[in-house]
Amino acid sequence: MDDFAYTRPDRPQVAVALAARPGARFVAGGTDLLNLMKDGAEHHDHLIDINALPLSGLRKVEGRIEIGALSRMSDVAAHPAVREGLPVLSQALLAGASPQVRNMASMGGNLLQRTRCWYFRDAAMPCNKRSPGSGCPAIKGQNRRHAIVGGSEHCIAVHPSDLAVALTALGATVHTLSPRGARSIPMAGFYLSPGNTPHQETVLGQGELITRIDVPVTPLARGSRYVKLRERATFEFALVSVAALVRTQGGVVREAGLAFGGIAPRPWRPAAVEEALVGRPLDAAAIKAAGAALVRDAVPREHNAFKVALVQRALAEALGEFGGSR
Amino acid sequence: MSASVVGRAVSRVEGVAKVTGAARYAADTEVTGVTHAVLVKSTIARGRVTGIDTAKATAAPGVLGVFTHQNMPRLTVPGPQTMFLKGFLPVQDGEIRYSGQPVAIVVAGTLEQARYAATLVKPAYDAETPQVSLAANMDLAYLPEPHPMSGPPVYTRGDVAAGLESADVKVAAEYSTPLQHHNAMEPTAMVAAWDGDRLTVHASTQGVGDLQRSLMAAFGLPGESVRVVCPYLGGGFGGKALSWPEPILVAAVARQVRRPVKLVLTRADSYTASGHRAETRHSLQVGATRDGRLTAIDHTLTQQVSRTDELMFNNPGQTRVIYACPNVRTTQRAVRLDLPIANFTRSPEASGGHALESALDELAYALNMDPVELRLRNWSATNQETGHPHGSNHLRECYRRGAQRFGWARRDPRPGSMRDRDGLIGWGMATAAHASGGVPGAGADLVIKEDGTARIRSATQDVGTGTYTVMTQIGADVLGLPLRGVEFALGDSAFPRSVVAAASTTVPSVGEAVVRAATQGRDRLIALAVADSKSPLHGLDPKRVAARDGHLFDTERPSRRIAHREVMRRHGKPIEVVVSPAAFTPRRFSVGAYFAEVHVDPGIGRIRLRRVVGVFDPGRVINPKTARSQVIGGAIWCVGIALTEHTLVDPYLGRVLTPNLSGYLLPVNADVPDIEVDFIDRPDPSSPALGARGFGEVPSTGLTAAIGNAVYHATGVRVRDLPITPEKVIKS
Repeated sequence: MDDFAYTRPDRPQVAVALAARPGARFVAGGTDLLNLMKDGAEHHDHLIDINALPLSGLRKVEGRIEIGALSRMSDVAAHPAVREGLPVLSQALLAGASPQVRNMASMGGNLLQRTRCWYFRDAAMPCNKRSPGSGCPAIKGQNRRHAIVGGSEHCIAVHPSDLAVALTALGATVHTLSPRGARSIPMAGFYLSPGNTPHQETVLGQGELITRIDVPVTPLARGSRYVKLRERATFEFALVSVAALVRTQGGVVREAGLAFGGIAPRPWRPAAVEEALVGRPLDAAAIKAAGAALVRDAVPREHNAFKVALVQRALAEALGEFGGSR
Repeated sequence: MSASVVGRAVSRVEGVAKVTGAARYAADTEVTGVTHAVLVKSTIARGRVTGIDTAKATAAPGVLGVFTHQNMPRLTVPGPQTMFLKGFLPVQDGEIRYSGQPVAIVVAGTLEQARYAATLVKPAYDAETPQVSLAANMDLAYLPEPHPMSGPPVYTRGDVAAGLESADVKVAAEYSTPLQHHNAMEPTAMVAAWDGDRLTVHASTQGVGDLQRSLMAAFGLPGESVRVVCPYLGGGFGGKALSWPEPILVAAVARQVRRPVKLVLTRADSYTASGHRAETRHSLQVGATRDGRLTAIDHTLTQQVSRTDELMFNNPGQTRVIYACPNVRTTQRAVRLDLPIANFTRSPEASGGHALESALDELAYALNMDPVELRLRNWSATNQETGHPHGSNHLRECYRRGAQRFGWARRDPRPGSMRDRDGLIGWGMATAAHASGGVPGAGADLVIKEDGTARIRSATQDVGTGTYTVMTQIGADVLGLPLRGVEFALGDSAFPRSVVAAASTTVPSVGEAVVRAATQGRDRLIALAVADSKSPLHGLDPKRVAARDGHLFDTERPSRRIAHREVMRRHGKPIEVVVSPAAFTPRRFSVGAYFAEVHVDPGIGRIRLRRVVGVFDPGRVINPKTARSQVIGGAIWCVGIALTEHTLVDPYLGRVLTPNLSGYLLPVNADVPDIEVDFIDRPDPSSPALGARGFGEVPSTGLTAAIGNAVYHATGVRVRDLPITPEKVIKS
């Protein structure tokens, strides 16, 4: 690991001013960043520790819950308002990492964790995300855990966050602060597709700090759930996952929010899946149609073709909870 | 009269030291003036180093030396008799034989300085395209030269073609297991310090004696000049059983920088430095009569070997030994690939046993016969390979007791027939078996001190299995002392020569030496007592005298007794015994039966192990507590092998892609159900160690097949390629 400067400001304005310089990076829980730096996958010469900033805690206001970006995963998952009003968020958080990691990792940092693509994580390998232009060995190599939708010929790495999938389905909004001021970004527009710039993963600029995440509390969100499929029972990233919000009335789907993890370089919420369900009875035909819409543009590779079927099964499993038959 | 300390569920004698941190592992060794080494590893899998730029690294703060093949002292490659099996020493020439091979060693005053400077070393390579895929290179398979560690390349008894021809029912199938790693909790560590021409190495090794001999060979030093110390190991599983290059390289650079040097391998290092279970393919043909008697087994193994060795550590021993079958052939084929050397991985017979026990399940279905019944019909009282009787073999009782505890009689054998609200239930079973006799080469010494307590020493190791504890129990039992009256010391090459702690050999090998040393010591104590005119035992025939609870006593009048302490006080000097290694130890097998229940949701491919019952026959159980821990550990190994573990290698770049515990999926607690363990616990009359046989590897065989067989029973899908991951069972 290279030497780096370390600063621990206690005011957000100071933090973002310090971070405006290239080479600077925020650190909160450090559960991903320190590994990346030790493994040589990322290099930063100035770490700005944001743990002293007043950005922790949850606040219930009319129609939404505001979650401070420094809130720890475990605290948010256990919060009664989240468990009751946003079960998919609590479930997605608890499905991620281990209790030790969840006690350290922050909500904002979770959204910015880097892909688990083994080519990205090994600094000795080519990787367009880590070293633009060096190539993507995953396309022809070991791509069992890689994307089947949304990738490009430059990158098929999968975004690893369960939280981001849940927030995408919930239609959350990310609030940020930078030297240019504050802004809010809907989750749907927070992540970028890899295209030919896979190193650019979000719309955040240099030194832009996530301060808060606002999550709408709606009747739709109340019955939500998260389904995560993986090999071992816990402490593993998703093979595929589904965040499902469905409201039915008289057996007919009135409203739906469905986002998917483990299959794309960003949380994946194709409108066609929800369109295939809304206004129809939640029966096998509708579920099948939604699944087909989900994988219509899939580009499976040598080792990940199983995800095409598995993600449809996960969708059916998730919808089963709302009275759908799989 | 108190019961013997042998057979008692004694807690680990070193347990308090371990949980309080008093136990010093290799990396904890405190040596004045120690410096730190970090390895620079090749990023290509095949080719040559054309140059290494070390200028920046050499100039970095705190750096004491940067060593490459250009400035490294020339070292002698130790021979295989020292368990140095890799065939070459890295950092001696520019050739690259696998990705991750050390190409430079950086030594600095602090670990951080060494780690940073290592990033500044810039090797240049002339890279060639590596071959790393077994599947893509099966046409390169060949029969390697015979080697005592590999088992026979080709073994035949009877006429396999005729046996298959005469079979009423035949099964032919191919099973494969992936590359897997040991992942001991303690990363391999070493500290090398020179005092003139005398070298001391503290190292995590399962063989202090072997490592000492490999260092002697590398540096041309006599035995008295090299000492290897390893009092504690945080697991090894075979990964620390060979003599590896790193302690040699570290000793060499310590001599150059004239300071002690410490190297602790990173987790990532351990995926190329300490061997692995080779990727294997097993092709089986099994024939049987209509009533389930085996007529032939033809078992061909093909596995990866490296460019510099061709040792086979997946020997299908169970196929040759366990079942009564007149016509058997086993064949071991190798494919050379640009990967590190493979070695034994708990258990080396896991993959071959998995293939055999899976094929027998397929045969049971083909015969429409219960798989327990099929195995009972083919039980053999003799070792089928040697033709000699087993010392004892209670395998049939393992099946019966296991089946009863599991409730096997309630099994509906039809696939998919058993279910609950959430999915399918499958029950499967398999035999566990592993060689478990002693190996020659274990010695010990004993001192009975003037206070009547004893100290026994042997240059063996405790991998975490319980060697300290069971040897203390054996010594105390023979000497008639309470546990606290015996100290067992190990892990020092200065102690009497012993054997590598591997392959389930420690109890029958070291235990034998401890029994002999303690017996001689006790006999000398008795001789003193009967010769002493002031002793209550004076004049007795020594055969009438026994030892128990710290006393010698007249077996015909037990109240006539004298304390060990008293005999020794009057003797006034210690009794010293040295026993040299036994020339012969019997070959043995320990066996058991595993029963497993899985729950499968075939819609989403979710497989969860719900229940395991294992019943074992290891001869006499010296310590039910440590033996049970061996079973639990072995069973968890099987859960990983069956369901989650596989090391991925990039097919073009030849690099390990999963060199960490995030990418390499070990089972977590939530994957491990209750494991019910039982022992037959009857002494093997042929055992030289109080009726016990070796046992450690046995429980890490068989359960993989029991799980696979259970998945088939649940789903009707026979997954012949491990691990059994969701995509292999989701119904189409």
